[in-house]
Amino acid sequence: MRPSGFLAKTSALAIKDLRVELRGRDTLPPMLAFAFTVALVLAFAVPELPATARPTKLTVALAYVEAGFLWITVLFAGLIGFARTFEVEREEGAIDALLLAPVDRSGLFIAKAAANLVFVACVEAVVIPSLALFFAIDLGAGWLPLLGVIVLVDLGFVAAGTLFAAVAAQTRSRELVLPLLALPTLVPVFIAAIELTADLFLGAAFDDMAGRGWFAILLAFDVIYGVVAALTFELALD
Amino acid sequence: MSSQGAARRSYSDVLGLAAWASVAVALYLVFFVAREADISMGGQLQRIFYFHVPAAWISYLSFAIVFLASIAYLRTASRRWDLLAHSAAEIGVVFCTLVLITGPIWARPVWGTWWQWDARLTSTLVLWLTYVGYLFIRNLSTDGARAGRLAAVIGITGFVDVPIVHFSVQWWRTLHPSGPTVSNPAADSGLGGAELAAFFASLAAFTLLFAWLLSLRTRLGRLADRVDSLAVATESRNPAEPQRVPARNPVGEAT
Repeated sequence: MRPSGFLAKTSALAIKDLRVELRGRDTLPPMLAFAFTVALVLAFAVPELPATARPTKLTVALAYVEAGFLWITVLFAGLIGFARTFEVEREEGAIDALLLAPVDRSGLFIAKAAANLVFVACVEAVVIPSLALFFAIDLGAGWLPLLGVIVLVDLGFVAAGTLFAAVAAQTRSRELVLPLLALPTLVPVFIAAIELTADLFLGAAFDDMAGRGWFAILLAFDVIYGVVAALTFELALD
Repeated sequence: MSSQGAARRSYSDVLGLAAWASVAVALYLVFFVAREADISMGGQLQRIFYFHVPAAWISYLSFAIVFLASIAYLRTASRRWDLLAHSAAEIGVVFCTLVLITGPIWARPVWGTWWQWDARLTSTLVLWLTYVGYLFIRNLSTDGARAGRLAAVIGITGFVDVPIVHFSVQWWRTLHPSGPTVSNPAADSGLGGAELAAFFASLAAFTLLFAWLLSLRTRLGRLADRVDSLAVATESRNPAEPQRVPARNPVGEAT
C-alpha cells in the first residue's frame, strides 16, 4: 500500500532514514561510543564528597556540575549526529531526489527531526545510566520527572539542531559551523535543563521544580523553534 | 542609473556630515559639560557610559534590522534586502563588540571584576555569538545566492531567540543570589540635566553614525555586485582567453 496522507509520507521518510542507519550503522554507534567516552572522561573531573543527609553548599555545587556534564555530553554527541543529517544524501547526490518527495517541506523537516530524535534518545539511554553509575546518583522517585525534562529538552534541541544542520550542510567546514550556530541558540535550553536536572539530583519535589518556571522556558523554546524551523527549513534547503 | 547613484551618494554625504557634526557635539558634551560622576559609579570612568549604552542601542537596532530585512528577503528574493541584512549584521557585530569591550573596562574598577554573569551581559554575549555565526554563514557558504537564504534563516532564528535567552538568563541569576547584583548604571546614578543632554546627544550621534555606515556599506555591496557582473560580462565575451592572475607563491619566494 502506498502512503498517501501527510503523516504517512512523513513517517515513511523518517523510517527510510532509520532503515539506512540500521543497515549502514554509520551514525548511531559512533555517537554512542563518543558519548560514553566523554562521560567517562568527565567522571574523572568530579571529586568525591562525603555523603551527607542534607544538601550542603558543596553537594549543591556538585549537583550542578554533574547536571552540566550530563547535558554537555548529550549536546556534543547530539550535534555530532545532527551534522550527519544530510550526509547520506550528500554523499550519494540524492538531495534532489529527497526534495522531490511528494510531501510538504515541513514534512521533510519533521521526518529528519524525528530520525534525529531517535538518535538523541539512544544517546541519552546510554549516557544517563552511565553517568548515574559514575557519579553514584540515586534518583529515587525522580526518574519520572527527569523523563519529562528529557522529552522537553530533546524536542527543542532536535528542532533547532535539524534546522541548523540543513544550513550547515551547505557550507564549507560543516562540522564546525553546526556547533557555532546551535550552541548560542541552545543556551536557554541548556540553562533550563541543568537547573531542572540539578534539582532532581538534589531530590527536589516535583512541585518545587515546576514552580520555578524552567518548564515554561523549555516549552516556549520547543513551540517557537518547532514552528520557526518547520517554516524556514524549506528555505534553507533549496 | 547614474543619476540615481549620484542622488544616493549626496544623500550619503549629507548623512556623513551630520554624523561627524553630531559626534563632535556629543564628544564636547560628554567630556566638558557632563559633570564627573560619583566615585561609586566610577568617577571619570563613568563617561564610558555615554559610549557603552548608545553602542548597545545600535547593536540591538542592527539586529532588529537584520531580522526584518531577512524576512523581507525571503519573501521577495530581492538582493536589496539581502544586502541590507548583511550590512546591518556587520555593523551590529562591530557595535556589539564595542559594548562587550567598554563594559568590562568600566566594570573592573567599579564592580571589582571584568565580567559578571548578569542577565544583560550574558544575553549580549549570546547575541554577539549568534551574529558572529551569521557572518560565518555568509563567508563559508558554497554559493552566493544560497548564502543569502541561509543567512536569512539564521537572521530570523537568532532574533527569535533573544527574548527566550533574556528570560532564561534572568531567572538563572535571580535564582542564585550569590555574588553582587548588578544594577542598571543609569537608574541610580543621579544623572542631571547636563548628563542627560550628553547622553541623548551621544545617542543621536551614534544613530546618525550608524545610518551613515549603513549607507556606505550597502553602497559598497552594490558596487561589489556591479564589479562581479562586469567580470562575468567580460568573461563571457572572450571565453577563449580566461584572464590569468599571476599566482603569488609566498613559499616559493623564499627558495
